[in-house]
Amino acid sequence: MEVIISKENKLVTAALVGRLDTPASQEIAPQIESLKADAAGTIVLDCSQLSYISSSGLRIFLSLRKAAAEKGGKVIVRNISNEIRSVFMMTGFLNLFEIQ
Amino acid sequence: MAETQLDPHTQELLEQYRSLLPVYSQMAEVIPEKLKGFFEEAGFIVAAVEHRVKTESSLAGKLKLKGSKYASIFDITDIIGLRVITFYGDDVDKVASVLERLFEIDWENSVDKRKAHETDSFGYLSLHYICRIPESAYTDPDHPELNKIRFEVQMRSVLQHAWANMNHDTGYKSGVEIPSIYVRSLSRLAGILELVDDEFSRIRRELADYRRNVQKLVASGNLGEVQLDGDSFRSYIAIGPFDRLNRRIASINQAEVQQVDLSAFLPLFKAIGFLTLGDIDSLIKNFSDAAYQIACFQLGLTDIDILSSSLAPQDLCTAYILKNGGGRIGLKMMLDTLNGPDEYNDAMAGFLVEQCKDLPFMNQ
Repeated sequence: MEVIISKENKLVTAALVGRLDTPASQEIAPQIESLKADAAGTIVLDCSQLSYISSSGLRIFLSLRKAAAEKGGKVIVRNISNEIRSVFMMTGFLNLFEIQ
Repeated sequence: MAETQLDPHTQELLEQYRSLLPVYSQMAEVIPEKLKGFFEEAGFIVAAVEHRVKTESSLAGKLKLKGSKYASIFDITDIIGLRVITFYGDDVDKVASVLERLFEIDWENSVDKRKAHETDSFGYLSLHYICRIPESAYTDPDHPELNKIRFEVQMRSVLQHAWANMNHDTGYKSGVEIPSIYVRSLSRLAGILELVDDEFSRIRRELADYRRNVQKLVASGNLGEVQLDGDSFRSYIAIGPFDRLNRRIASINQAEVQQVDLSAFLPLFKAIGFLTLGDIDSLIKNFSDAAYQIACFQLGLTDIDILSSSLAPQDLCTAYILKNGGGRIGLKMMLDTLNGPDEYNDAMAGFLVEQCKDLPFMNQ
């Protein structure tokens, strides 16, 4: 699992590459924590290369959403596959994020 | 103003003023901050708290006119002036009651200009209190004069404030008496603003009554009588109407439920034709089993153990729309309303129709 972070002004994009299962969630936790420093702006989670998401992965998305809500920022989820979109729907997560 | 033009008594008063100026300045800074803190504690918001210390030239002008009236500088009550501007006219009395608790009020010199008008005239409306910090509240052995200095607090609503400023600017700035036709126009405006002030207060009062009534009806279960709107929906959500179904769904995978804001469902409930909270209550009563069936089908073969509290109302709406013949178009409308229009919503709606078509509730 890889997270590629790029920053441009107040926009931070994190491209998630691979399978976001429980071990991967632990592996990327430090990078996700570092993203929270930019939670006052816009964080884009680019999921075009994300092939799977587990409950641990959903928790990561949720923790970023909370951090953004506390700081007045927002999280945009971009390019999710239909499989991950259906996971978001069946868990009620679909309307928690701006999905592009 | 050259000091040589002033009589010795006035010069003496100005000398006292100069020596007290640091205390005046500090009081004018500290008291408004304290007041703001008390207003916050009392739970109401004021538009502004302003302060000023009379300048030496302004004081000299005043003393030149009526200096003999004052034996000492402590007899002058408006060297420190504060102004509390409220949003609503009827908050002025609340501000006054806070001042009465905090300070010693010099009633003899305080004036309620709201009562100064004849019943058929309109004009300046403001409540002026002359206050002093009581020793029981605060003393400073190095500055015993703190408890001797009186200060003026003017209290008025934003509309009263606007009128007073405009009246001052238009009516007095030139220093020339304005024609009576304009005096009449300004009085007419004062009357209109008084009416508007009263209307704002009335609307606030009636809204508070409405909210209390809605809360009472929600608590008593008379949901069919409560019209569905932002206030009633908020009161309803506060009693956790979807909690039971969410817990039932969570038990499928022993999942945790993350509480989220459900206000996005209000436009959806309205879009599917619900008019009262009773309609949502009926939805929960009649469609919880169907919603549970949807959740079981979707989550049963997964190990997902985190859910959002929006899942119960989402699955209830899904079941309701499908059972009432809304089909794919109805579900797309649901997804558009909840999540915003998206090119994938139609495909997701089709996917949902496929998932649900063989579930027991669709065939009962």
